[in-house]
Amino acid sequence: MVRFKNRYVLCEVVSEDPRCRQCIEDRAVGLAVRDAIGRVHGDYGLACCSISFTVKYVNAYTGTVLLRCRKDFYRLLCSALPFVRQLESRGQRYPCALHTLHVGGTIRTCQKFLIQYNRRQLLTLLQNCTNEEERRCIQKSLLSCSLTEEQSQSGDEEDDGTETD
Amino acid sequence: MSGAREKKRAKKMRNQPASVTLPAEPGPFPGGGGGRACPPPGDVCSEQQYHQQKFLNQSSGPSYRKDQYFAKGQNRGERGRGRGGWQGGRQSISEEMPKYITVSTFAQARAAEINAMLKAVAQKSSNSLVFQTLPRHMRRRAMSHNIKRLPRRLQEIARKEAEKAVHQKKEQSKTKCRKARRRHINLVAEFNRRQRKNIWLETHIWHAKRFHMAKKWGYCLGNSPTEKSYRACYRAMAKHCLLQDLSYYCCLELTGKENELLKPLARICSTETGLTFEEASCLSGRFEGSLNLYQADRYPEGMLGPVTFIWKPRDGSENRQLWIWVHPALKQDVLRELKTIFQCSEPEEIYIPEPVTTSIQEQKQTDIVPSLGKKRKMEDKEGEKAVPVKKIIGDGTRDAFQSYSWISQTTGIVISDRTMEILRYRLIGPLSHSVLTETLKAASLQTEMADSETGLNNWWVENCKDSEKVSLHQCQSAIFELLEGISSPSEMPPGTILGLTVGDPRVNLPKKKTKAVPDFEKYQDNDKVRQLYLEGVPVDCAHSFIWDQDICKNVTENKISEQDLNHMRAQLLVPGSHLDLGPSESKIPILLVQQPGKMAGEDRPGWGSGWDIYLPKGWGMAFWIPFIYRGVRVGGLQEALKHSEYQRIPHTPNDFPDCQAGMQFAKELETSLLEKFKRRPPAKRVNYVKLGTLSPFFCPWGQLTKNWEGRMKASGELLHPSSPHPERCATEGHSFCDPEAEVLKEASPETGEVETMEVTSSEGVLKTEDVTGTQNFGERDETMTSDFIVLRSEKLLMQLSAWCYPTAGKDRRVRLVSRLGQKEMTEDVFMPILMSYPRALVWVTLSLLRKGNPELHAMICIPTEDDLLHLSKDKLFCGPQEPKHCDIFKHKVQKLKEEKKKKKDNRKALEGDPLNVPDKETTEEHEDLILGLWSGALPDVTSHCSRTLLGYVTRGDFSLAAGCGEALGFVSLTGLLYMLHRQPADKKGLVLLRTPASLQYRFARLNIEV
Repeated sequence: MVRFKNRYVLCEVVSEDPRCRQCIEDRAVGLAVRDAIGRVHGDYGLACCSISFTVKYVNAYTGTVLLRCRKDFYRLLCSALPFVRQLESRGQRYPCALHTLHVGGTIRTCQKFLIQYNRRQLLTLLQNCTNEEERRCIQKSLLSCSLTEEQSQSGDEEDDGTETD
Repeated sequence: MSGAREKKRAKKMRNQPASVTLPAEPGPFPGGGGGRACPPPGDVCSEQQYHQQKFLNQSSGPSYRKDQYFAKGQNRGERGRGRGGWQGGRQSISEEMPKYITVSTFAQARAAEINAMLKAVAQKSSNSLVFQTLPRHMRRRAMSHNIKRLPRRLQEIARKEAEKAVHQKKEQSKTKCRKARRRHINLVAEFNRRQRKNIWLETHIWHAKRFHMAKKWGYCLGNSPTEKSYRACYRAMAKHCLLQDLSYYCCLELTGKENELLKPLARICSTETGLTFEEASCLSGRFEGSLNLYQADRYPEGMLGPVTFIWKPRDGSENRQLWIWVHPALKQDVLRELKTIFQCSEPEEIYIPEPVTTSIQEQKQTDIVPSLGKKRKMEDKEGEKAVPVKKIIGDGTRDAFQSYSWISQTTGIVISDRTMEILRYRLIGPLSHSVLTETLKAASLQTEMADSETGLNNWWVENCKDSEKVSLHQCQSAIFELLEGISSPSEMPPGTILGLTVGDPRVNLPKKKTKAVPDFEKYQDNDKVRQLYLEGVPVDCAHSFIWDQDICKNVTENKISEQDLNHMRAQLLVPGSHLDLGPSESKIPILLVQQPGKMAGEDRPGWGSGWDIYLPKGWGMAFWIPFIYRGVRVGGLQEALKHSEYQRIPHTPNDFPDCQAGMQFAKELETSLLEKFKRRPPAKRVNYVKLGTLSPFFCPWGQLTKNWEGRMKASGELLHPSSPHPERCATEGHSFCDPEAEVLKEASPETGEVETMEVTSSEGVLKTEDVTGTQNFGERDETMTSDFIVLRSEKLLMQLSAWCYPTAGKDRRVRLVSRLGQKEMTEDVFMPILMSYPRALVWVTLSLLRKGNPELHAMICIPTEDDLLHLSKDKLFCGPQEPKHCDIFKHKVQKLKEEKKKKKDNRKALEGDPLNVPDKETTEEHEDLILGLWSGALPDVTSHCSRTLLGYVTRGDFSLAAGCGEALGFVSLTGLLYMLHRQPADKKGLVLLRTPASLQYRFARLNIEV
């Protein structure tokens, strides 16, 4: 099978300012990354990277960003990511940095990695927590994520059943 | 992107998490006003809830609706912000006590994301099977059917998948293996079962392998060949020979004394329309006649349909036999009418002996002897597990236990329904008689019995003892052989009948398929051929044994089966040599009837002529295959339609809008066309309202005639000169309309005598109108009821035909007009016609002057003066354009759509759960408002467009025979006279033609062919 091979880059937006979160959206992230590539690699690099470049997934609450680009040029993209210094949207501009977590060949692997990564984060959080309330809170959320998994599973089954009929 | 693709993509993306962004800034929305009291800003619990809900929403809903979800989330966020602005609040909180908040939200957000991702990862998103998602090295061959071969984690999903596949698969209904199914007995039983609903002709299996079959009129008929053959069939018709199986035509046999038959029959036909049953040449049995039947004494209303008839030649006895051949769609009507006019009741078993002995014996025998018809057989062998002996030869037009013959108690006239008893093949084309002469060989004389037990040929042996009959047979066969010398069947007198007895055609089957070509040189100066030309076939030769039911039965029962014949062929000493059956060869009585072809009009006389051959039943395939081996081409219903189209004659039942079958046909056509129209996506449909086409799928004849009548009345009687003309023809000036009115007014005082007649007739008409008028109020369907007649009076048609020709200019035909000896077209000539037929249609043929391909239901319109002027100036002028109409229903349709949408949304909002949706909505969707079609009652059809409507086309296509577009249709008589009267002398008979899906008018010449 012949297909276009892509690389998916999973990054995290690191920012001091919590207000930065409202800037985390598809367009703003995309523009910032493009801008960085343009600065670092010039027009040629920008053109190379913009083939099929998109922001596939953004989560403002966790600061997760999933970028896609062609396999041939993902090095250009990855090397440009540390140069993203700020996000700008709706006239506001907040300083931040992109922290690359994972580079994968499919969205699926990135998702799998993200699950693992988040789990690890939660566990470390649990270990490092200082008071009882925090602990309880984190435990609760940990439990919730494993519980809802089954629920969603069962819900899906129902979906399937209704659709085929 | 098409809907299907979108759907597929949506399904694929269903489980993919959508991007999550923070709600927008406090915008212009007033916010607030939420029913639920919002918790104080920064409340962990509420935030948590919010997150969870948000993620749940996302993960459970398909992502292509993400906008919606976002909108919801945004609203919610705004609401919250409106109350206290949790965005701002949180900011402040994060500054104040960042740690506490950060940890819990952090944890919540992670957990939610894990959920979303888990869902995305756990579900396989593509449309592949489970084992296809496995890497190749883990796949096993048996995985596809044995679930246990899969890794255990995938087994559950695979099980579900497998169930689904089984569910979708068709249920295996075949209980027996193929070998058992193909066993002869079972096969025949299966065939019998399959033709219980729609009867098969004898050539069904042959046709089913090569034709698209259509179920029509209770039969399975070949519609058109599967191969490409449109042009080839035309060529066969025009140059060689086209074969058609017309066995589905119904034969009604009347038996009784000549006078007693003729008297009631005169009531159902009229001398005005042409022949009657009394026509001398037909009555002698020499020629076949064709006529239109009407309900008793109701001419010109109450059309029953066209029939052909054959009288049995006089053979000394008092009783005459008459065959009436009817199309199956008309049969029930005709039969009912015949039964009433002859006062026939059911005879059958309750029958009391009558003085008429011969016919009764016949009847009784048909009743007693178990014939091959399935109903009778079923009766006989009820209860037993009888092995079906033979293919059923039944009848699709009558019910299982219905009687098939009736007798009149007073006159002793017997009507019997002999449908499917006699087969009828039609050969069309100039070489059809060379095909006939090559295929059929007159039976040899025979004086000794072949096999006394079976009774094979004993009738023939009997006959051969009678020297008179022998000489008759010799005479018949001599004439039959002479037929080869005639170049085309059209050279024989129309409807010539030739009876014949022939040998088994299977015996002299050629080894290869060959093309039958006549050898004219042999007959170049043969006096006998010339004599045949001049005199036609003598009366005696029309006699055939096929009239005798006993002989027919004998012939049918004693047919040598194909298997035996092949067996005998195999035992020949020299393989492939001619098989001589000797005395055991079957003798089959047949009847050959010449079909006249094109008789009306001036061009292509005799086009499409041919022969009909009538055979006793059971012999269908035995004659069919030999014909095929002579290189004929076989046509189906479509080819028959084309044949009549090129001959420009009306086709049964398509072109008889005034008889029941025609109306039924029109209704079926409308529904099928409408279905086809609805199957298109709405954006790709033609908007007929915009095109100004009121009725693209049917012809509102009733309304057309009514409107024209109304126009005439308005212009002729009610109008005083100064008042404006009621019609809305803006392009036609008043100057154009008014003279007519004046002329009409002038006309009436001049011819006082005529006027009184007019008054009476119009009064009568008005009365009838009132009677019918009550039925005709209201819906569109009822415009189909026959409140109009089709003009079939030959005299009037001749007159009209002459008027249609231009009387000046280079196109004029003085010769023709003078030959017809017609009067000039003046008011006092046509006014009486107009008055006696206020609601009449005329069958017309149209040939396009230039470009254009007329279609079904195209509109025939009257050209304006400007159009004609333009045409005379510019010879290349194609025709005017209809201005675009505006769609007055678009608004309503859109409103309806919106309402529907709203209702849908409401429902969705109300019930989150997929509750069972009541079917109410689906019924509501079937509104009769369809975008692009006129709904409700039609307005005045004549004046809806810029050119006045005259009539409709019922059949139109590019004619291969004429080399230009040709159309056949009906126009309103009133409209036609109106138009002809006002057209300039050199442009008479020019009309405009517009197809339903086009704005372009095309010029066409209108003809009436008599």
